[in-house]
Amino acid sequence: MIDFIDISKTFTIKKQQVAALQHVSLKVNAGDIFGVIGFSGAGKSTLLRMVNALETPTSGRIEVDGQDINKLPFSQLRQVRKRIGMVFQQFNLLNSKTVYDNIAIPLLLNRVDPKDIQLRVLELLDFVELTDKRNAYPTQLSGGQKQRVGIARALATNPSILLCDEATSALDPETTDSILRLLEKINQELNITILIVTHEIHVIQRICNKVAVMEHGKVIEHGSVLEVFCNPQQPMSKKFVQTVIADKIPASIIQVLQQDVRNYKIFMIRFLGENVNDNILYHINKAFDVETNIVFASVNELQQTVLGIFMVQVIGSNAEIQDVIDYLEQHQLNWQEVIV
Amino acid sequence: MMDLGVPYSQIVLAAEQTVYMVFVSLAIGTLFAIIMAVTLVLTNEKGILKNKYIYVVLNTMINIVRSVPFIILMVFILPLTKEIVGTRVGTTAALVPLVIFIAPYLTRLFENSVLEVDGGIVEAAQAMGASHFEVVWYFLLPEARGSLILSITTGTIGLLGATAMAGVIGAGGVGDLALTYGYERLNFPLMLFTVIILVIFVQIIQSFGNYFSSKIRNH
Repeated sequence: MIDFIDISKTFTIKKQQVAALQHVSLKVNAGDIFGVIGFSGAGKSTLLRMVNALETPTSGRIEVDGQDINKLPFSQLRQVRKRIGMVFQQFNLLNSKTVYDNIAIPLLLNRVDPKDIQLRVLELLDFVELTDKRNAYPTQLSGGQKQRVGIARALATNPSILLCDEATSALDPETTDSILRLLEKINQELNITILIVTHEIHVIQRICNKVAVMEHGKVIEHGSVLEVFCNPQQPMSKKFVQTVIADKIPASIIQVLQQDVRNYKIFMIRFLGENVNDNILYHINKAFDVETNIVFASVNELQQTVLGIFMVQVIGSNAEIQDVIDYLEQHQLNWQEVIV
Repeated sequence: MMDLGVPYSQIVLAAEQTVYMVFVSLAIGTLFAIIMAVTLVLTNEKGILKNKYIYVVLNTMINIVRSVPFIILMVFILPLTKEIVGTRVGTTAALVPLVIFIAPYLTRLFENSVLEVDGGIVEAAQAMGASHFEVVWYFLLPEARGSLILSITTGTIGLLGATAMAGVIGAGGVGDLALTYGYERLNFPLMLFTVIILVIFVQIIQSFGNYFSSKIRNH
C-alpha cells in the first residue's frame, strides 16, 4: 500500500547539511493502523509528508499502491492526493468558513454536484457526531471538535489512506481518547489504512497494530505492536514502552530484596495471550523444592491480547534454581534474570 | 445657507470628481494589487511557486514606484497618461497616475495580509490536491479577507489624499477646490468646509472598513 524504499532526506539550514532521514525503509499494508513514534526532530513528520509528496526525498522512493509518487506529473499527483486524507496537529481549518463549508471544500475542489455535496457533508457530520455544529465557525469549537471537523474534511473524498500528523498532540487525554476511538472506527468501518505519527506511546498502544520507532532520522525498530511492546530491543524503544507498560520493581521493594540474605534469584517472566492462564508458578512450586514470591506484576491489554509481566523471586539452593531455569527454557517462556 | 463664495453646484461637482477618482482608481488598483501581492507571496522564499527572479523583479519595481512622491509621479508619467487615455489633463487622465500610485501601495498591504494566513492552511490545501490557483482562490484569499478589507480601507484613505494633488493636472475634486478657491482666494469658510467634507469622507470609509472586516473576523 505505502512503500518507503531507502528514503533519505537532507535539509540545508544556514549552509549546514542536516540529515532528517537516513535510509528509511518501511512498508504499510492495506488495513493497517501504522504508528510511527519518536521525539520531536526524529524525522517522523517529514516521513509522513512524503506519502502525499508535500516533502520529497533526497534519495530513495515512495510507492503508493505501486505508483512512484515523485514521478507523477503534477496533475496526476493531485488526483492521488485526493485519495489520501490528511489530519494535522493544528487542525488547519479555515477560520473564515463554517464547519459545513470546511468539510465541503475538498468536494468543491472535485467539482462535485452541489446536491451531492450536501448529502455527503451531512453524512460526514453525522459520522463524526457534529451535526449540531454545522453552522458554527472553527473558533467557536473545542480542540476535539476542531479535530473532528479536520477528520471529516479528510474523509470527504473517500480516501483509501489517512495520514495523521500528531493528530492528538494538541488535545487533552480524554479528548485524545475520543479521537482515537473515531480513528479506530474509520479503520474498521470504512476500511481506511491509517498512518499516524506521534510522540505519545499510548496512542500506539491504544489503536495501532504496527509500530516503527524513530530516532535521529533512522528507524531503529519496527514490527507488530505486540512484538515491540512485549520485547523492545533498542534503549529508545524500551524507554517509550516502559512509560505505558511497567516492568520495573519499585524502589521500596528493591530495598527489602537487597536486605534478603537468603540465596535467591529474580526472574522477569513475560506472558502473552493464553499463556497467562497457564499457572506456571503452581507448576514450579509443585515440581521443585523452592520458595517463590511475586515481587512485582503488571497486566496490560494490547490489541485485544493480554500481556502479563511477573517478577518472581525464587529462593532455594543454586541447583534448585538451575532446575527452575531449565524448566523455563523447556517451556519456551520469555524470561530474563533481574539483578537488584 | 452660508455663502461659501462658490456655487453649491461646484462643490457637488468637486465631491463627485473626488468620489469618481477614488473609487475607479481603487477598483483598478485593487485588481492589479491582488495579482501582484499573490505573485509575491507564491514566489517568495517559502512560497509554493518559489521563483527568485520573478520575486526580485516585482519587489524592486514596487519599491521604485513607491519611492516617487505622487505629485512627481503624476507629471513624470504624463506621456504614458496621454498614450492610455488620449489626454494629459482632466479627471479621467488623473486615474492613470492614481492607479500607478495606489497599486504598489496596496500590493504591500495585501502582501502582509496574505502572509498572515497560517502556512498550515496552504499545506492542507495541497494535501487535498488543490491546484495553485485553487490554493489562492479557495484558501488564501478567503482566509485573508478580513485583513484585506482593512488594507483596502487604508489604501482608500491614501488615495483620497492623493486626489487633492490631482488638481495640478486639472482633475478637479475637493482638494483642488480647497487649494484654488480656499487657499488662493483666501476664502477661509470654503477651506474649512472642504476640510470638514474630507474628514467626513475618511470617517465613513474607515467605519465601513472596520465594520465589514470585524464582521468577517469575529466568528
